[in-house]
Amino acid sequence: MPSLSPDTDNTYPWIEKVLPTRLEAIREAEGDVMERLENLGYDEDHQFAIRLAFEEALVNAMKHGNRMEPSRKVALAYRVSPECIQIRIRDDGEGFNSACVPDPTTDENLQRPCGRGIMLMRSYMDTVQYACRGKEVRMVRFRRSSDGGATP
Amino acid sequence: MRIETREEGGCRVVAIAGSADVESSAALREVLMGAIEGGAKCIICDLGRTDFICSDALGVLITAYLKARMRGGFVRLADPQEHLKDVLATTRLDHLFEIFADVTAAVGGCKAKKP
Repeated sequence: MPSLSPDTDNTYPWIEKVLPTRLEAIREAEGDVMERLENLGYDEDHQFAIRLAFEEALVNAMKHGNRMEPSRKVALAYRVSPECIQIRIRDDGEGFNSACVPDPTTDENLQRPCGRGIMLMRSYMDTVQYACRGKEVRMVRFRRSSDGGATP
Repeated sequence: MRIETREEGGCRVVAIAGSADVESSAALREVLMGAIEGGAKCIICDLGRTDFICSDALGVLITAYLKARMRGGFVRLADPQEHLKDVLATTRLDHLFEIFADVTAAVGGCKAKKP
């Protein structure tokens, strides 16, 4: 898989991993991200929000993108700095149009048991963008000056 | 995630401790569906010690809610902490579920609804 990292920064470098399509792989990747957030003093609200979006994006990549096919991989890149976290996740699937995903918060969709992942990602991250025809998601969450981070 | 069940005031209380993440959803589904299929009419999910919930686990709660309702029962949520309250509000699932401040209040609510 081609690199997802746009540049290099020796102080807070991009971390790149290729994950197998197994849900158990999410926990391990998540553990490293959470440790970096904690080491940089991100508060509990940030940690909860980032963990939720991170897990939703990886689950989407494995379940909907790769359709849980073991031969397919998920490329992951993230960079945690004192100012923000940047995450890029790319699956091996056919892609999709995120604009076609129904809004799960409307009354008619409220009882549907699935379809909340992208909405949660959008709600808990500052930016969520899709690239490569929906095969890659790029997310950023900024730290605010009120919790010890720099204002974006 | 650790799940403990108990009877309280004629209700089945399912206490979910830790993270209701994608890996734990299957276990949660098994407990909730098992309770409903076993005849429990009033199920209360005690979220007081649930520190994380993902969309998969939310889907399990919704499926249980629908299944219980089809059988004339209820699934209620009790004591969600701030982060979970926020997720429930963000997803508007606080419009679907009845949410109580604690298990005692949820049991009271179930009693009031029993035929």
